[in-house]
Amino acid sequence: MEGLEFKRSAPLTLGVELELALVNTRDCDLTRAASDLHALTEGAIHPGAIRPEASESMIEVSTSVHSRHGALAAELRELRGHVLAAADRLNVLVTGGGAHPLQRSSGRRISDKPRFGLLSELYGDLAKRFAVFGLHIHLGCPDGDDALYLLHALSRYVPHFIALAAASPYYQGVDTAFDSARGNAVFAFPLSGRAPFVLRWNDFNGYFARVREMGIVASPKDLYWDIRPKPEHGTIEIRVCDTPLTVDKAAALAAYAQALARYLLVERVHPLNEDIYLPYGYNRFQACRFGLEGELIDPATRARRSIGEDIAATLEAAAVHARELEGEEGLAALAECVRGAGNDARWMRETYARTESLPDLVYRQAQRWRGATR
Amino acid sequence: MDEFFFLPSWAVQVDDLQRLALLLLVAVIAGEAAHWLRVPRLLGWIAAGVALGPDVAGLIDRDVIADQYGLLQIAIGVVLFELGQRVDLGWLRRNAPLAGASVLESGLAFVAIFTVLWLLEAPPRVAATAGAIGIATSPAVVLTLARDLRAQGQVTERVLLLTALNSAYAVVVVSVLIAWLHVEYRGEWLVAAAHPLYLIFGSAALGAAFAAVLIGALRLLGNRVEAHFLSALALVVVAVSLAAALNLSAVLAALAFGTCARAFDRGRRFVSLDFGRLGRILVMLLLALAAASLELELVPAGLLAGAALVVARYFGKSLGLLATAGVSGLAPRKAALVGLGLMPMSAVALILVHETSTLFPEFGPALATVVVAALALLEVVGPLAAQFALERAGETAERR
Repeated sequence: MEGLEFKRSAPLTLGVELELALVNTRDCDLTRAASDLHALTEGAIHPGAIRPEASESMIEVSTSVHSRHGALAAELRELRGHVLAAADRLNVLVTGGGAHPLQRSSGRRISDKPRFGLLSELYGDLAKRFAVFGLHIHLGCPDGDDALYLLHALSRYVPHFIALAAASPYYQGVDTAFDSARGNAVFAFPLSGRAPFVLRWNDFNGYFARVREMGIVASPKDLYWDIRPKPEHGTIEIRVCDTPLTVDKAAALAAYAQALARYLLVERVHPLNEDIYLPYGYNRFQACRFGLEGELIDPATRARRSIGEDIAATLEAAAVHARELEGEEGLAALAECVRGAGNDARWMRETYARTESLPDLVYRQAQRWRGATR
Repeated sequence: MDEFFFLPSWAVQVDDLQRLALLLLVAVIAGEAAHWLRVPRLLGWIAAGVALGPDVAGLIDRDVIADQYGLLQIAIGVVLFELGQRVDLGWLRRNAPLAGASVLESGLAFVAIFTVLWLLEAPPRVAATAGAIGIATSPAVVLTLARDLRAQGQVTERVLLLTALNSAYAVVVVSVLIAWLHVEYRGEWLVAAAHPLYLIFGSAALGAAFAAVLIGALRLLGNRVEAHFLSALALVVVAVSLAAALNLSAVLAALAFGTCARAFDRGRRFVSLDFGRLGRILVMLLLALAAASLELELVPAGLLAGAALVVARYFGKSLGLLATAGVSGLAPRKAALVGLGLMPMSAVALILVHETSTLFPEFGPALATVVVAALALLEVVGPLAAQFALERAGETAERR
């Protein structure tokens, strides 16, 4: 069988996919509305795409390809407008957040598409538990080798993306103590985790051919890695972010990924060897559990500092590149989080503390996604 | 002196409570049998009501039904309170054509029923009253089905919203007709104008006042679920009996109570308020007693007119929904399913017949013949149609 061909794309281009929860207005529990909402947005002319995903209570919004943060943010806001107009007619609320706080797996329904039916059979309850909501950031790469370099170099920064985007402290009705409970749910899948340490596209193809022969996977879509190559788009895809509570935060995270990628590709600061993965699981857990207050071990220097401090330092190092890419505004928003505003998980805990009602929290998440302040 | 004084006297006395307990037991068993046959459980409850009712086994005779009319009203109050809680009037603001759909489906159902019965040479008064009663969908049936099937989605939400609205319209239109009949029968114009207004605004105000009291009480009680449930139940019972005492509509008052309770709950702290198992028992009793109280001997005489009513009502409602499907943001296929979902008719209709017949014994029997026959048909067809609609819409939970 032929190897996977890595489609060439313009370096440092951006695109994002947002998985959003659809909830009812009564008790703010997940509802079934994806196909009806999709039908209503189909007629309208808009950039990007709005389509049903694995479950009827999830809608996926994806942007077209951009090279600048400003245009990406503008398109996300436009897409949000289309989704909201349709949702209002259906009396459905749309929220960000990495997991639905109230979610019980029993009442959910897997989408009728054949692919998801198969998944449901294979993974059983896991497929239902996988009803978590993520932000996927795509970065364009000129070829497979560059993609793999970037993939591994970015792995050191995976905790940054987890901690900044963390928005799932509540899961199945309880405070999990994690900032991102979604990260845990994803880990239960056999094909989650990190990519194998291969740096040449040919070697990756060899790896992929072997696992496919073993019957573990059928296509690269079956690999639920934290960062995975997407050869058919010519991108690598960062998948560790919870869906943030606002589209602006999503755009800011994309701008950070872009600036970071330019920093890594231009300055080539990290020599790549497999040791970069020694603290990977530890750092990742710290980010899911404690968010910005988690501890991060630098694989190169073995220095320990808080994830927040590490982000602040990285934001400074990548500032030049952000300027080059006109992404300063996005990075400034993230710097604000690190300096004290905190991540969305903190906002959710503070909001819940006021009424002690999870439905009310979900309602306020929906208001926040709508663009209402506070 | 009887030396066998310790033996019970024959026959053993059976009081109302025991009769109702037996009815519940039979209903539960019949419900599970129905579930096994893949039809809605509530068809089993209805069958149990008919089987134990005056025309068959006779355990639940007319006296029992008459004595338990209060219980029936409380059960209806609970159901309508729960339905009211699920109604989001904000949706009508965000999707105004939906209000149009509601008015149109109800209006066309009324016109269709009136026309068909009039063509069948029913007196216009009877045709109009039957049309007004036919506007209402059964809240107990659609709410119980939505729960049992764990249905969620556009068809479910729209069926519930439209049911709440059309039940309210039916009460109002019937009251307007009653007022009109007042004029015709007794010539009192002031009464004709004042009665519906008193009924609408009085019931709404009563419901709103109770909602304010309930939300206040719940705030005081804090996060204790059984305290919430008990205070809600107690207030629904008081509201329903107060509505009856004030000659208001228990249906409207309970509906307004539920809707306002939701609207007043700003912090969304009491959204999970439901009546759980007790609510379930009340719905079972409601549907079983309503079925038992159908005067089946009227059915043969009214069968043709009743069947015509059912068909005309269905086409009226569906036409209204299909005409407004596009503008209200629903695919025509789903609008047609909403039309099926609105078919059930039960206790609210029965209460309306009962009230009209009490006020106007003159034309009670003619009305009852038509409506009872239609109800008898819809007791079976309605739940099946509604279940089919929710399943076909893909909104039910997967079967285990």
